[in-house]
Amino acid sequence: MDTLFTNLALGFSVAFSFQNLGLAFIGCFVGTLIGVLPGIGPIATITMLLPVTFGLEPTGAIIMLAGIYYGAQYGGSTSAILVNIPGEVTAVVTTLDGHEMAKRGRAGAALGIAAMASFFAGTFATLVVASLAVPLTRLALVFGPAEYFSLMVAGLAFAVVLARGSVPRAIAMVLGGLLASTIGTDLDTGAERMTFGYAPLSDGLDFAVLAMGLFGFAEVLRNLEAVEHRDVVKKAIGTVLPTKADLRRSIAPVLRGTLLGSVLGILPGNGAVLAPFASYATEKKLAKDPSRFGQGAIEGVAGPEAANNAGAQTSFIPLLALGIPPNAVMALMVGAMTIHGIVPGPLVMVKSPLLFWGLIASMWIGNLMLLVINLPLVRLWVRLLDVPYRLMYPAILLFSCIGLYSVKSAPGDVLMAAVLAVVGWALNKLEFETAPLLLGFVLGRLMEENLRRALAISRGDPATFVQRPISGALLAVTVLVLLAAVLPAVRRGRKKVFTE
Amino acid sequence: MAVDAAPPDPSPPNAPRVLVSKDLLAGLALVVLATFALWASARLPMGTLRSVGPGAMPRGTALLILGGGVVLSVAAVVKGGTPLGRWSLRGPLFVSLAVAAFAFTIRWVGLAVAGPLVVIVSGAASDETRPVELVVFAIVMTAFCIGLFRFALGLPIPILILPGIVTI
Amino acid sequence: MRRMLTTLAATLALALPAAGRAAWPDRPITLVVPFAAGGPTDVVARIVGEHMSRTLGQQIIVENVAGAGGTTASLRVAQTPPDGYTIEMGHMGTHGAAPGAYPDLKYDPLKDFEPIGLAAGTPIVVVARKDLAPKNLKEFVAYLKTSSEKLNEAHAGTGSVSFTTCSLFNSITGAKPTRVAYRGTGPALNDLVAGQVDYMCDQIVNLVPQIQAGTIKAYAVALPERSPALPNVPTTKEAGLPEFEVTAWNALFAPKGTPKDIIQKLNGALVKALEDQNTRKRLLDLGADLSNKAAVSPDGLRKLVESEVPRWKKVLASAGTSKEAPVKDADPKK
Repeated sequence: MDTLFTNLALGFSVAFSFQNLGLAFIGCFVGTLIGVLPGIGPIATITMLLPVTFGLEPTGAIIMLAGIYYGAQYGGSTSAILVNIPGEVTAVVTTLDGHEMAKRGRAGAALGIAAMASFFAGTFATLVVASLAVPLTRLALVFGPAEYFSLMVAGLAFAVVLARGSVPRAIAMVLGGLLASTIGTDLDTGAERMTFGYAPLSDGLDFAVLAMGLFGFAEVLRNLEAVEHRDVVKKAIGTVLPTKADLRRSIAPVLRGTLLGSVLGILPGNGAVLAPFASYATEKKLAKDPSRFGQGAIEGVAGPEAANNAGAQTSFIPLLALGIPPNAVMALMVGAMTIHGIVPGPLVMVKSPLLFWGLIASMWIGNLMLLVINLPLVRLWVRLLDVPYRLMYPAILLFSCIGLYSVKSAPGDVLMAAVLAVVGWALNKLEFETAPLLLGFVLGRLMEENLRRALAISRGDPATFVQRPISGALLAVTVLVLLAAVLPAVRRGRKKVFTE
Repeated sequence: MAVDAAPPDPSPPNAPRVLVSKDLLAGLALVVLATFALWASARLPMGTLRSVGPGAMPRGTALLILGGGVVLSVAAVVKGGTPLGRWSLRGPLFVSLAVAAFAFTIRWVGLAVAGPLVVIVSGAASDETRPVELVVFAIVMTAFCIGLFRFALGLPIPILILPGIVTI
Repeated sequence: MRRMLTTLAATLALALPAAGRAAWPDRPITLVVPFAAGGPTDVVARIVGEHMSRTLGQQIIVENVAGAGGTTASLRVAQTPPDGYTIEMGHMGTHGAAPGAYPDLKYDPLKDFEPIGLAAGTPIVVVARKDLAPKNLKEFVAYLKTSSEKLNEAHAGTGSVSFTTCSLFNSITGAKPTRVAYRGTGPALNDLVAGQVDYMCDQIVNLVPQIQAGTIKAYAVALPERSPALPNVPTTKEAGLPEFEVTAWNALFAPKGTPKDIIQKLNGALVKALEDQNTRKRLLDLGADLSNKAAVSPDGLRKLVESEVPRWKKVLASAGTSKEAPVKDADPKK
């Protein structure tokens, strides 16, 4: 424990230099400003801002990057809440109740609770990272392909809970997501799958493209049709910050979310992506009145936001301790560090302790900055809703196009989003929800790849999924959860049939 | 469609239940999607358990979707479903046209043209649009984006390319 | 409309040849990197590009165009006007292995590009999980002869550097492992550290921290001389497998038809960057290999490409994976 405090003190001595505090602030601020533009998600934001850090010395650059990272994440949540445009996987969950709150004039409360939950979770997770980074690494290594496969199967069970409407349709959408995830060049054999010779498809659909087209643009289309609906958003801004009652309601979800996020974030195979979904599913299950979820329940914002930020934080563990980036955003961070001559890996902690502990301290400072920058800005963001929608949506489209284009300089990505917009609109018309599809898409790739890996390594023996204890346990839990979810529905369904 | 197979009207008294419903269309859409995916992945090998082929996952999920689609469609025919409602094509047409216009111009002509194009074309999607205001807004937004992304952030986004005359 | 503009442009270009040429470069130069930001090629491009822009007096903007193993970017550069304002940081994959890996590749690394010069190579290292029985490369090669079928080789996806180079390694040693595909080097390395898979070949940049920490073991560096980043790891030549010599090289290319004097200026700026002590140090610190001096010139690079393309064609043609899955002809449209 002593060493922990000495180390943290060392870290803070680095991070608290005037210059580094300034860099953390600028990073956070600029990250938020770009990230808040609807249609520009964290990956696009970080890609855009990466070169800004090149001129700095390594420690300062990394600290600024951490700031950009948190800013981009929070900026993404802001546009998810205000205009229902998720910039990345995890923000999809935030849209579910966050945007519903905004529609009910409670955008300020949603933004406020998101910032506070993130700060709390960030603080806790930073402590986890600081004290347990090394031992936790071992946990990460226990997870092989079989375990990841089972974890992803468990993740799919959450998708059903996410559904606001019909469960069979949600399942169909999850399957649709799985199917969409197989488009592209097969990793294993190099075979082109359902690309129809169209080159931009050969790397598969990009999540940002899919989310923007199917979810973001489709949301714009829905708003264009539902005129009266939008006016509600504009009319009542209500209290800007969360009330005491809001806070009381949020405490338990934030605690649970933080724990879930911290644990899932440690897994190097992008376990953090499940955190907000898991948190949302948990809160919905535990709630006295689950029907409030999807109608603007503050727990549905507080829990997932905490889980998201805690996961974002602890996913630094595999990055710093193993040098292995768990997701696209982290891969970008590794790239940035490499450019500064720091290759993350098991020895960073020993070889450059100033950098390591400085980064950990600046993680916390980054979270603090988020709170400091964003609580006052909440009023400003909420005022954005005063922009009439007839001007808001062309601006959303413009920013989205630029965001989509800038990641890979690929016009093909923008074009695909245009096509997906129509698909998303048709899905909405047919009362299919797209959130489960997005989850299925994200999990699908991980699930298939790990399934094939696990079977290759076990030489074709499916028993590997049951024999390996962690994998077996995960599958057992999934079966139980599904039974618990499906049985009452079946019984109810039968009753309904009989009454008819 | 299966109009002949119309069952006696099972609609509960509170909601109108119709035969050609959202539910039927949704089920059929799934059937079409699944059939298409099955066709598109038909030549991909299924592989063995030891080395699962590239066709296993797409075809497996497509079959499940097909099953789901059939169940939804049959249920919709048997029980009836909610009416289709209004499908206005104006929004999706102009919004995706605007985005596509951006895609076709950004690399070859630049943001100075692609920007106003996306704003103005998409403006046609709403009947609240005021033309003059929209044009001014398009110019202001494009200028803002050029300033922010190209000049403040230094991103390699082309601003204006007129071959031989100007390339920014 | 477009044709009209092009004609107009051509007329203008003819009318003002001297003025247009003499001024080069009068605006920023785009350096296309065929991979995502942060990868080894991107890092080399940014470090070298930064110094080159000082020499040329114009900013070099790095543009990451990722996709299809870098071939998307290369095709795009091959089709841009050869005015010296768009160049590419080509790579062993895009300008060496691609014709072998992608049968319907729409560009030719030799016919569609003007070589400018080799920037830096990234050495390839053969690594294994830390508790694999063989102690050195000799023992490992002998082990592969008897029991390679029991082993799992990890790679970062068909067409990736780790896939192509290990295809070469396997064909030289006669190994027939189960090849396990990962999405990128990171996850593959993770499972190697965890002992889920047995060995892999990859670029040194990604591996140095793990090798130094002893979480995986390195058998050999596939270079003629030892790498300063890993002075204790023998070369393949020393370890008795001289045929396995390969680097993931990164080199600058311009579209075919770029005027000679512009190529010369670009090459001059590249040479100057590689002579600069600070730039050299940054590259060497990352484990880059700067030993191939011959290919830094345009002609030297042309020779390198001429030898690489047939080499990879041969390796990849015989590299059929141990799983009898057909490769590349599975698209219903073909």
